[in-house]
Amino acid sequence: MQSRFPGPHPGRIREATRLRQDREGEMALIELTGVSKVYRRGEVEIAALRQVDLSVAAGEFVAVTGKSGCGKSTLLHLIGGLEAPSRGRVVVAGRDLASLGERQLTEFRRDLVGVVFQSFNLLPLLTLEENVALPRVLQGVSYARAAAEAREWLAQVGLTDRRHHKPHQVSGGEMQRAALARALINRPAVLLADEPTGNLDHATSRQVMELFAALHRKEGQTIVMVTHAPEAAAYAQREVRLRDGRVMA
Amino acid sequence: MRLWLFRLPLKHLKEFPGRTLLGIFGIALGTAVYLGISLAGASALESFRRSVAAVSGKAQWRLSRPGATLPEELYLQVRRLPEVRAAAPVVESVLDLEGPDGGPVLLLGVDPFAEAAFREYELEGEAGAAAWEEFLSRPATCLVAEPLARRRGLRSGGTLKVIAGSREQELTVVGLFRSPGGLYPLEGAVILMDVAWAQELLGRAGQLDYIDLIGRRPGEETAATLRKVLPPGVEVSWPGAQTRQMEGLVASYRLNLQVLSAIALFVGMFLIYQSVTLSVVRRRREIGLLRTLGLGAREVLVLFLAEGAITGLAGGLAGLFLGILLAQGALGLVTDTLTSLYTPVAARRLVISPALLVQAWILAVLATLVAALVPALEAARTRVRAVWYREELEEVITRRARRLAGGGAAALGLAGILAVPEAGRVPIPGFIAAFLILLGFALFTPVAALGLGRGLLPGLRRLLGVAGDLGCRYLSGSLSRSAVSIAALACALGMLIAVAVMIGSFRETVNLWVSRSISGDIFFGPAVFSTAAYDRYLPPEVVPELREDPEVADLYLYRCVRLPFRDRFVLVIGGSFDVLAKYGGMWFRQGDSVAILQEMATAAREGGPAMVIISEPLAETFGFREGGELELPTPAGPRRVQVRGVFYDFRTDGPSIWMDLHQFRRLWGDEHLNAVRLYLRDQSRVAQVQAKLRERYGGRYRLLALSHQDLRNGILEIFDRTFAVTYALEGVAVLVAVFGIITTFVVLIMDRERELALLQALGASRRQILGMVLVESGLASFLSFLLGAGAGSVLSLLLILVINKQAFGWTIRLFFTPGIYFHSLLLVVALGLVSGAVPAWRAVKPHLAVILKEE
Repeated sequence: MQSRFPGPHPGRIREATRLRQDREGEMALIELTGVSKVYRRGEVEIAALRQVDLSVAAGEFVAVTGKSGCGKSTLLHLIGGLEAPSRGRVVVAGRDLASLGERQLTEFRRDLVGVVFQSFNLLPLLTLEENVALPRVLQGVSYARAAAEAREWLAQVGLTDRRHHKPHQVSGGEMQRAALARALINRPAVLLADEPTGNLDHATSRQVMELFAALHRKEGQTIVMVTHAPEAAAYAQREVRLRDGRVMA
Repeated sequence: MRLWLFRLPLKHLKEFPGRTLLGIFGIALGTAVYLGISLAGASALESFRRSVAAVSGKAQWRLSRPGATLPEELYLQVRRLPEVRAAAPVVESVLDLEGPDGGPVLLLGVDPFAEAAFREYELEGEAGAAAWEEFLSRPATCLVAEPLARRRGLRSGGTLKVIAGSREQELTVVGLFRSPGGLYPLEGAVILMDVAWAQELLGRAGQLDYIDLIGRRPGEETAATLRKVLPPGVEVSWPGAQTRQMEGLVASYRLNLQVLSAIALFVGMFLIYQSVTLSVVRRRREIGLLRTLGLGAREVLVLFLAEGAITGLAGGLAGLFLGILLAQGALGLVTDTLTSLYTPVAARRLVISPALLVQAWILAVLATLVAALVPALEAARTRVRAVWYREELEEVITRRARRLAGGGAAALGLAGILAVPEAGRVPIPGFIAAFLILLGFALFTPVAALGLGRGLLPGLRRLLGVAGDLGCRYLSGSLSRSAVSIAALACALGMLIAVAVMIGSFRETVNLWVSRSISGDIFFGPAVFSTAAYDRYLPPEVVPELREDPEVADLYLYRCVRLPFRDRFVLVIGGSFDVLAKYGGMWFRQGDSVAILQEMATAAREGGPAMVIISEPLAETFGFREGGELELPTPAGPRRVQVRGVFYDFRTDGPSIWMDLHQFRRLWGDEHLNAVRLYLRDQSRVAQVQAKLRERYGGRYRLLALSHQDLRNGILEIFDRTFAVTYALEGVAVLVAVFGIITTFVVLIMDRERELALLQALGASRRQILGMVLVESGLASFLSFLLGAGAGSVLSLLLILVINKQAFGWTIRLFFTPGIYFHSLLLVVALGLVSGAVPAWRAVKPHLAVILKEE
């Protein structure tokens, strides 16, 4: 599949300029220092991550691999500001996430992070176009403009003719491509992907991973992808292995 | 089908205890209200039946004259007739007990020597003979029934203060008696006097109220022979007929209460429908799997019906217990209402009829089965792979919205056909029309939600941004979950609004009627409001004294009797029509009131043709028209009289026939008066004249002197008390619906937790998410209000123009009552917002990752 991603939209946040400078200076875009995450289930404590140090440079494509339950998704959630670490520091695009209030965290997720989930997580109520437009609408952009941008992104992932369909009316691969378009419409500094091919067949997985690779290659998009599929991990520049909550290599 | 499979519905009911309990609660409350009202009504009637049975004893026949007494000599004649084996003379009156816990007490004046064949009384204690001796020989002595003695702490030798006629009297208790069968009139509020002393106490020397008889031959033979030899006007009736007449009188009242109580059950059905539908949607995989494993469509249907039936059985059972408790409370209200409106009833004991319990339980189970049938059929019809996904279900509902609205329009059309006002009939078609109206508006819900969501979307998007946008989309996109709750609340609100508009209009009509129909400055008599006041007379010296009073310009004299008429009781009233013609005081359906009243007064004075005017309920019940004739039972035998006019009347103690007092006295030979109205020369002196009357007569008599304002307030007070039960019933229906809407939003938000977390992950702020939920729940509540207001307005017209006319024969004018619309809008929207906000607030708490965690 050919992919040509649209250029930055006119209203793109000033943040992008600074991030590009970060990339040029090969500074770390994501910096995790001594991060641990412990869940409590009643009396029992489960350590999902233990003393993790990780650095991801701007423009880097990193695959986080490991067995089920090793803490891959938790790592992704911490980087995306979806949850807070029990100990340690998470700095993304120069922001120490622990220092951000609820409102700033919301803005961080909205403006700097794009997430692709294994089970797509499209809103069943909205059409694919509306789903893709949603993050821009959340930013306060007019719906007409957001929809126009969504159409461009849907064209890039080959879903123009499906744009008025609702998620349950399209295939898994189409849903995941729409989810990718949605994650990218805000031109996020970091694209986080949680098992993006986990629910897809082999051929569709390849199509989706090609999209990720093109995005990285042509746009220099920073991508952190969690996967347990070696074929998917092969598309990344670097592989970070997790075992029992620790980084192995 | 293997019984083991029924574990599945049981497990699912256990899996979602909140939803299961809500369904059970809805059905339990509905059943309880239905049963409570049925039991209370049946108990009150049973109490009346027991009263009649206790007073009748073994009497086969009763001699009486309509609205008049019998001469004592008749007893002596009848006793000697060869057809008569035994006869007993009786004087009867309902007196008021003095004291704080007063109430009515039945005085039976009997001849102890004649009584043995009819009624048994066991005297308490050993002084039986002495008590009888005192009873017979001393005036103002009485025997008190044991239950009354127990309640008031009375003993032999004590005294009992009563109000008899217009005087306070003190009676000496010479003994206590027990009825061997435990059967007492008025739940034991009964005293016995010797017939002669009772005649003296009541001022009825030489008169009897009735004579009870036992014939020598069974069946109708005795009655037929008696009818031939008795003087004209004396009627031979079966004592139990009173119960039938009473049942006829209160039938409409009971039916109305029962139908209103069924509304709560109807609302409960929506909750069951919603619960089973949600269950079908949630269990799509399970159904698919079971079908794949070989389960047939019929078994699927049975499994889902079983789920409904289990809820119905449990809810119905809980409803039975709750209903008995409710009935205890409702009994007092129903008894008070029956006493205010129809006849003294003193039901203290709840009669728990097993038939009613079974009926209520069966009704509960049937209601749940009907409610569960549609979603169960959908589940059964679905092919193995195509069991609904939520989104598919949404599409189905969206596709069917127009068809459903078409069904709604058809239901409304059918309601219109059924809603033909046909007087004097049990309003069953009217009630069916009422349910069709509710159903019709409920079926409009999907189309209205789609229209509202889509219609308001551009505006709310501009106004509230993404919150307005998504709120509108969720409203029109979550119909599978929210439409039924919206419809249920709309139905409950519709009934509430309809009943409130009907009661408000009725109250205003009554208010207007009091102004237009009841003239007079002061109403003066022994018991102006009491339903048992027909034998309470104004002391004879009062009228001449009032005529002498220089402040009194005119007097309206009033006499009222109550008599059986066909299968009902009617009031026959004699009044000074010349005074009414002068001051106004009748509101006729057709014709000029002054001309009618003057013509009747002149005819009565000059011995012209017998004419009456009748109340609208009587005309509607029996189909009498202006200019027609009716046969009036009188003490001198039936008389054909001309119906000169039909007037609006909202007296609730039965339909009435009015005539000029001169004519009444000619027909009834009765010079008593029950009350007078005073027309003052100076209307500003009402309070002073009231005080003067109290001063002049207060020491001697118990007479009420009410101003026009007092009377109006009193009438409206009785009115409000009467409709308190109605409001309570509607309140319960709204409560059930409100629980439904709260649960719907809780379930809706819980179901959508993942979507809400996703929105947060995409960068939606908590404010945006809360705003979205509030827009949705606010719009859903608003839509319930809109549909409820529409249904309520149409229903109020049905209640006012059709059902009331059929059931009671009243013409009620429609008065717009904006307050109820405004209040219900505020209540419902506030509730909707709160019930959406609380779970939404919980859902936006920061645990996104857990919610988004992949399955």
